[in-house]
Amino acid sequence: MANDNDDKLVRQAKALFDESVDALDGATLSKLNRARQRALEELDEGHPAGLRTWLLPAGGAAAVAALAFLVVGTNDTDMRVPAGVTAADSDFEMLIDENSLEMLEELEFYAWLELDEVNDAGHSG
Amino acid sequence: MNTVAGAFAVSSPREHDIGVTALQRQEELNRFLAGVERRALRYAEIAIRDRDDAMDIVQEAMIKLARNYAGKPSEQWAPLFYRILQNRIRDWHRRQAVRNRVMVWFGRNDPDDDYDPVAAAPDPLARRPEDELGTDRALAELSVALERLPPRQREAFMLRTFEGLDVAGTATAMGVSEGSVKTHYSRAVHRLRDALGEHYGE
Repeated sequence: MANDNDDKLVRQAKALFDESVDALDGATLSKLNRARQRALEELDEGHPAGLRTWLLPAGGAAAVAALAFLVVGTNDTDMRVPAGVTAADSDFEMLIDENSLEMLEELEFYAWLELDEVNDAGHSG
Repeated sequence: MNTVAGAFAVSSPREHDIGVTALQRQEELNRFLAGVERRALRYAEIAIRDRDDAMDIVQEAMIKLARNYAGKPSEQWAPLFYRILQNRIRDWHRRQAVRNRVMVWFGRNDPDDDYDPVAAAPDPLARRPEDELGTDRALAELSVALERLPPRQREAFMLRTFEGLDVAGTATAMGVSEGSVKTHYSRAVHRLRDALGEHYGE
């Protein structure tokens, strides 16, 4: 019985989702089409993807450094912070929480991706 | 004679084959993206509740797939595409969390700053409001229930149910084992059943 109800729920959820997909308006479909064409241009352009993926962690590190400077640096000044809000604590907690482990996993994924591209380039060249 | 004729050749047979293969690949990728783009947009929109940002995320995912994975076998594209999309959605939530903290810290968090009257104007091609009311209400209930699920359960349910990925494809998209997918999916269905009631779907 529970399985029957679960199946009904899944079917209903899928039907609602499909209906919402079919209801997308013309302007949105046009935007999607342009986005797709933009993506397909990537196949023609032959970007130096390795350079960009190398820059990605560097950019991330720079952003973290800027955030750290902002948070730590402004704590030394006499800025008015709303009572009960400790941005430094909360942001650094976020950086070391479970999600940040996922972020590290993604960095491994990006590293794997770059290695994969290097190998692919080696095979094709 | 053959040497002279060869000198006027524009491209070698091998180069010609490579060109044809590249063109076929582009057409194949175009078909794939055209087949998933609308569902991907609604998927992202439910996940982040913002049409414009969802559009940006879908475009980024399409570009990344084309840039990095166009050479992979086409049957791998779907799980790879949804993995990229899922990572982008997670990044969006992280950025929003930081942004909200910073905005609260500086005492600025006024959503009216972003109001765009042109974007808010009704679309003449869109369906009439009364036609959408029933669907919208049911979808809104479902969206709220999905939003309250733990992220992994929500991802498993949406990838399996909405995008039609199998367990293996969902595992690739989520970056977890197939066993985890089954567990997250099963728990998601039970939680949704509790949240939406026994008669939802009848």
